Amino acid sequence: MCGGTLNARTRRRRFYLQRMSDPHPESGHGVNRRQFLRDGARMTGLAGLGGLLGLVASRSTAQGTVWQIDPQKCVRCGNCATHCVLEQSAVKCVHAYAICGYCQLCTGYFEPEPNDLNTGAENCHCPTAAIKRTYVEDPYYEYTIDERLCIGCAKCVEGCNRFGNGSLFLQVRHDRCLNCNECAISKVCAGDAFRRVPASQPYLLKTMSHA
Amino acid sequence: MSKPASLVNRREFIRQGAGIVAGAGAALALARVAKANAFAFDAEGFSKTDPKLIGYEEIKRFTSRQSEPRRLAVGPEQRLYVAGKNGVSIVDFEGGPAAEIGLASPARCIAVAADGTVYVGLRDHVEVFDRKGQRLAAWDSCGPKAWLTGLAVGENELYAANAGERVVVRYDRTGKVLGRIGQKSLERNVPGLIVPSPYLDVKLGRDGLLRVNNPGRHRVETYTTAGDLELSWGAPSAAIEGFCGCCNPVGLALLPDGRCITCEKGLPRVKVYSPEGKFESVIAGTESFPRNAKAGALNDKSDGVLGGLDAALDAEGRVYVLDLVAGEIRVMRRKA
Repeated sequence: MCGGTLNARTRRRRFYLQRMSDPHPESGHGVNRRQFLRDGARMTGLAGLGGLLGLVASRSTAQGTVWQIDPQKCVRCGNCATHCVLEQSAVKCVHAYAICGYCQLCTGYFEPEPNDLNTGAENCHCPTAAIKRTYVEDPYYEYTIDERLCIGCAKCVEGCNRFGNGSLFLQVRHDRCLNCNECAISKVCAGDAFRRVPASQPYLLKTMSHA
Repeated sequence: MSKPASLVNRREFIRQGAGIVAGAGAALALARVAKANAFAFDAEGFSKTDPKLIGYEEIKRFTSRQSEPRRLAVGPEQRLYVAGKNGVSIVDFEGGPAAEIGLASPARCIAVAADGTVYVGLRDHVEVFDRKGQRLAAWDSCGPKAWLTGLAVGENELYAANAGERVVVRYDRTGKVLGRIGQKSLERNVPGLIVPSPYLDVKLGRDGLLRVNNPGRHRVETYTTAGDLELSWGAPSAAIEGFCGCCNPVGLALLPDGRCITCEKGLPRVKVYSPEGKFESVIAGTESFPRNAKAGALNDKSDGVLGGLDAALDAEGRVYVLDLVAGEIRVMRRKA
C-alpha cells in the first residue's frame, strides 16, 4: 500500500514537471504553477463549502427527529429504567384512558397475588409508587401515573399488557429527553422498539384501534 | 540426568486451573444475573400446574383454518364451527375441512341450533345461516356500542352476549328482542356485568338456566331466562382455584351434568368447576399455551383484543380448546 502511494505520487510529480517544462504539449493550453495553485485553492474552497453545507443539512435533519418507542414492539425488558444517560430515565409510563378498563384489580397496579385490593405497598408492584389509584364508582378505579416518580421500568406495562387491555405503555418524554445522537437505551432495547420520529409528531400513542 | 525442578507440580497446576475455571464460571453467572431484568413481572410461580390436578390429556391438535379465530361451537352433526376473521370454518373432528361461510366482516361468536341452523355474531348484529351455509337472515343492529362476543341457542330462543353494552340480549329465533339479562338492578338484586375487555360469554344449560361470565368481578353467574340471578361463584386469585388477572374468565362451556368449564387469559388455563363453583380439575394449564401466555395485548390485532382461550364440548365428552393466539385447536379427553 505504502509503495503504491509513493509510486503514484512520484508519477504525478513527474507529470506536472513535464507539463511545467513543456506548457503546450498538444493543445497549446497548459497550466502554469500560479494557475494550478489558484485552481487548487478554488477547488479546495468549493469542497470545503460543500462539506459545510452537507454538515448543516445533516444537523438540521437530526434536529428534525426525536427518539420514540413503538408500543407495539416494546417487550418490557426493563432497560429503559437502567440505560438512559439521565439519572432518572426520560422514558415514562403513559396511560391511554380510552383503552383502560378501570379495573378494580388492575394488574398494572397490583402484584399477581395481592393480599388485599388496597394501596398497601406490599400489594403494589410499582417500585417507586408512581401509580395513583382513585375510586370512581363500584367497581371502577382510575389509575394515574406520577411522572416525577416513574422510572420507566415497565413492570406495570407488562402486567397491563399480559392480563388487561394494554392501556399502560412506555414513551420517551421530550420535556426531559436530551435527544442524543445515539440513544443509549436504543442500543440495548431488546425489542428494537426505539426509532426516530418527526419532531412535529414526537409520540406514538395507543388509540382505540390498538385496544 | 536429574529432572529439572518445576515451580508448579501437576497437582498444584490442576488445583489452580480448577480454581480459575470455577472463578470464570461464577463471574459469568454473576454477569448473567446482572443482565436479567431487575423489574421483571414475576408470575412464573403460577405458570406451572400441579400434575395431580390435570384431569385431561391432549389427543389431537390442529391449526384453525380461520385466521384470528375467536369462538368455536359444536354442531348437531358433530362438526366443529370456528368463528374468525373471514367468517366461519366448519371442520370435522380431525380438523379436515367440511365447509366455509364467508363474511365481509369478522365473525366474533357462534352458536349452532339442534336443527343445524347456524347463528353468527358479528360486531353489532346476528346473522343466520342454514346448515348449507346459505344466509337466511341478518337481524337488526344491537346499537352503536354493541360488541357481540358470545352466543347460546335453545329450542326457541337465542342469547347474545353484548360486551359493549354489558348485557345478554334475549331473542326469539326470528330476531325479536324479548329481554335483557345481567343489567345492574337493585330491585332484582343484580349487581351488573363488568366487562373491562371484550370477553363476555353465555351458555344455556340442560337445566334451562343461563351461565354468564362476569369477568370484572371474577365470577360465573347463573340466570333464569327471565333474567333473575340465581347463583354466582368465583373469586379473584392467580392460584389455580381462582380466576387470575383483572378480568376472567373469558369463556365458558357446560358439561351435561351442569359442571362448568372456564377459560382464562393472562395465565391461559382451562379448568372444571362443580355446578356450585368448587374447583375440580384442570383441563389444560398455562404451560400448555406458551405463546398465549406471553402475548397479552401485544399481539397484533386489527379491531379488538385478541387473546385467551375458548372451549366447546362434543357428545362424547371431548373438550375442544381454541387458542386464540396460536390459532390452534386442542382436542382433550378425560384421563382414564
